[in-house]
Amino acid sequence: MSSVTVTRDEADLVERLRGGDEAAFETLIESYSGLMLSVARSYVKTRAVAEEVLQDAWLAVLQGLERFEGRSSLKTWIISIVINIARTRGAREARTVPFASLAPEHQEAAVDPDRFRGAGDAFPGHWWAYPANWNERPEEVILGRETLEVVTTAIEQLPDAQRAVITMRDIAGCSPEEVCETLALTEGNQRVLLHRARSRVRAALERHLGGA
Amino acid sequence: MAHSPLHISCQEVVELVSDYLEQALPADDAALLEQHLNFCDGCVWYVDQVRTTINVVGELRAEDVPEETKAKLMIAFRDWKRG
Amino acid sequence: MKAYKVLRADGRGVFTAFRWPLPAARPGEWVRSEPKPCRSGIHACRPSHLPLWIGRSLYEIELDGEIVDDAMKVVASQGRLVRRIDAWDEQAYDAYTRMCADRAHELARGHGLDNWEAVIEPSVPEGGALLGFVAARIAEELDGVEGYHRERATQAEWLAERLQLSS
Repeated sequence: MSSVTVTRDEADLVERLRGGDEAAFETLIESYSGLMLSVARSYVKTRAVAEEVLQDAWLAVLQGLERFEGRSSLKTWIISIVINIARTRGAREARTVPFASLAPEHQEAAVDPDRFRGAGDAFPGHWWAYPANWNERPEEVILGRETLEVVTTAIEQLPDAQRAVITMRDIAGCSPEEVCETLALTEGNQRVLLHRARSRVRAALERHLGGA
Repeated sequence: MAHSPLHISCQEVVELVSDYLEQALPADDAALLEQHLNFCDGCVWYVDQVRTTINVVGELRAEDVPEETKAKLMIAFRDWKRG
Repeated sequence: MKAYKVLRADGRGVFTAFRWPLPAARPGEWVRSEPKPCRSGIHACRPSHLPLWIGRSLYEIELDGEIVDDAMKVVASQGRLVRRIDAWDEQAYDAYTRMCADRAHELARGHGLDNWEAVIEPSVPEGGALLGFVAARIAEELDGVEGYHRERATQAEWLAERLQLSS
């Protein structure tokens, strides 16, 4: 089980920060800024805006230090601050509807039902044509910059709730418990949102890599 | 499509993969899923695609932070200290 | 306790890709893992389960410690590979596949199941696990759950006899 509350090292860092310790802040920004930029980037259109979000987020962290009680890990607390700021920023840019409920409502198939055999077939529900074997693709392609951009774009285009979950779980590496607590989700909801998000990103990757 | 307790279809597999990789599937469902993977290369490759997707998303976790940005943050920190 | 373990051709676990210590003149080393069916533990099967898990290479495995008997497999806290079942070679694999295909034809043709009949031969290149499933599915179509289990039992018996397996 992962640590859902702040660790002793982190608590120490927070104390030093409250005391104005510059070295502590430097350690913190070294540790988390890269991750925070990634998280911000999944919400806003450009790297430049993501950097602005980063600045605003650190300010919010400093201003919120007094209130941080250590009931979540430091990482989760910081990430949730980034998400809140980035989300507002992203919403203003795209004029999207600000977020209402996070719970998954309607049905959404992971893969287009047309890709599976129908009821009259001997093998109902089986693939018509198999998906591609990505193990046969060179690693440089899979982990190359183009692929990373495709994935970044796919995450940007996710519905808000799915984006929040996949960002916290698969980018930031937060535990399921931390995500549920931060986003006020049940365990079941969290899993469904993660599943849908991963399915959409996989589909985007598949379109990019080609070959069914 | 009737749900059989004896086996699952590819269409069901693709809905269960994420939970399977999370180790959040009940043992019975996980066993059915693995039995299916044993004879269905298509789904083996699909599960692998999902794993790869998760790995690629994980690669996004550390953007570079330019020195200039860090310098700006330190300035902001000193301002905050003073304020 | 004696059981059987299917591995990939390269000696790795089918679902975990774990590199098993393979037996040579002597059994491989003991591998330990807390038994939680489908999550962790040493997974193996009794001869009756074999058609569900059949693959390219087969080993006899000795299980010890805490042993959990699951409906479709056995999970233990420790196991070591004792010997490779050499009788499970390319010919045996093909013979099993053909046996399942012939059974599938018998059931499908015997009951006018044209849509099933049509998928049997195209499935053969994919091997014994798929053909075993096809035959069992056709039997299920005809006789429900009982038919499915009966067909699987027939497959298990065939393997046990061909490979001289014992429980």
